[in-house]
Amino acid sequence: MADELHLDAPSLQRLLDHFEGGRGGTVTAFRPISGGYSRLSALTTVRWADGSEESFVLRSDPPPDTGVFVSDRDAEWRLLRAISGKLPIRTATPRWYDAAGEYFGAKCLIVDFFQGRPLSDIAQSPDEVPRAARIFTDTLAEVHRTPLDVLPPELERPADWESYTEGLVGRLGRLDSIVADSNPALHYAAAQLRAHRPPPVPLTFVHGDAQPANILVPDEGPVLMIDWEFGRIGDPREDLGYYSHLPVPPNLFQADPQGFLARYRERTGLSEEQVNEDTVSYFYVLGMARLLGQMFEAADALAQGRSRGVMATYMMNGTSATTSAFVEVARRLTS
Amino acid sequence: MLSRPTTEQILLDCCRELMTIVLPALTDETAQVSVIMVETVLRNTAVRAAHEVAWMREETAEIEGYAQAVAGQAPGAESVGAALKALAGAPRDSLHLDDVVDTYCRAGNVLSAALEAAVAGRLTDLVRRGEEILDVRTGHETEVMAGWSPTGR
Repeated sequence: MADELHLDAPSLQRLLDHFEGGRGGTVTAFRPISGGYSRLSALTTVRWADGSEESFVLRSDPPPDTGVFVSDRDAEWRLLRAISGKLPIRTATPRWYDAAGEYFGAKCLIVDFFQGRPLSDIAQSPDEVPRAARIFTDTLAEVHRTPLDVLPPELERPADWESYTEGLVGRLGRLDSIVADSNPALHYAAAQLRAHRPPPVPLTFVHGDAQPANILVPDEGPVLMIDWEFGRIGDPREDLGYYSHLPVPPNLFQADPQGFLARYRERTGLSEEQVNEDTVSYFYVLGMARLLGQMFEAADALAQGRSRGVMATYMMNGTSATTSAFVEVARRLTS
Repeated sequence: MLSRPTTEQILLDCCRELMTIVLPALTDETAQVSVIMVETVLRNTAVRAAHEVAWMREETAEIEGYAQAVAGQAPGAESVGAALKALAGAPRDSLHLDDVVDTYCRAGNVLSAALEAAVAGRLTDLVRRGEEILDVRTGHETEVMAGWSPTGR
């Protein structure tokens, strides 16, 4: 791996010259785009020798030991390749992968650009909130109905719901075990979650960062869902729970929780006992625990003398807000 | 040492400088976001500097009394006893921040063990009391957030 990240047009040109030398591609446009909290992204246009043009999205790891949220680019690439064309919804078409950081100085995957409007933008219009909620609910249901046999063999397959859920609860209670700080709220939440299990459901493919910003809506045809870095097999209510408390307005779940969940149940065949506001809150805690752990680790790095950048200390506010919400959910379980 | 302006006042003045002088002069969006984040962290830090020693010591005293009550009622609460023993060895008399934090972290481990024991033992009254202690901790964290709200992406 090179020492310095260079997500730029010359680096892409070198990659194209290597992988597609016979097509005579030229990078004609290249600009960074917002890629969320965790990754660096860019949008580019390439003109081929035959006169055709294509646009691509690049998604690379940030420089080492920076940022807060960490995910495995190799696993994301494997997953993207495995699910491409296999889901009822669209996923980004994978094109090339700089697995060793040979061209960009960091692992970087390149996918076809998709012309679509982020669902989060559509939802900004109050009149469109009900339609956006329907699209979001249906998209999640489609993801959760994905046959597990299309997923890559490397993806962890939990033995059963009970052991999987116990593993998540156990991990929640251990989040502060590898950092210098202590966090009693997590131990309280884990203890209450252990004492108040919801009914089981079949484990499914889950997205892991399910939110409207990760769904692109074209003028016609199925939507495309992006950012599969946390994709895994798990409890589908993790996706519902994760989104249910996401503080990005308008929250399509909070706009009409009953309607949202009724439609999801209708699409998936799950019962009201399995999918309701309480079980969604339960899995909010478990669905967020992984990211909360990464927020702890990023702040702990500074406590150990290794700065991960201002985002790590800035997100300590998020840690406080999240653990506070966990306590509220755990307390409601007892009432 | 010079004590006035206080650390909180100095940090808040740095915030003002960042937002009124530095930020308007920046054109790079990434740098603008960084400055906004730094300003938020400085405001968080100002609140901490003003209160953290008192808060940690007050919470520690509450936690210790609570954990002793749990240890007296919860069956098999060995983890609470072990955590209390570790707390007893903390540098409690020192007001240097590293020592106060060390003590507070040990107290946090005590509270964690006590809450787990109270919930597992279905000791309803002690669970409630533990929740009240968590509420105090959460209230302090909220105050440190200084009005922060998540902005998503």
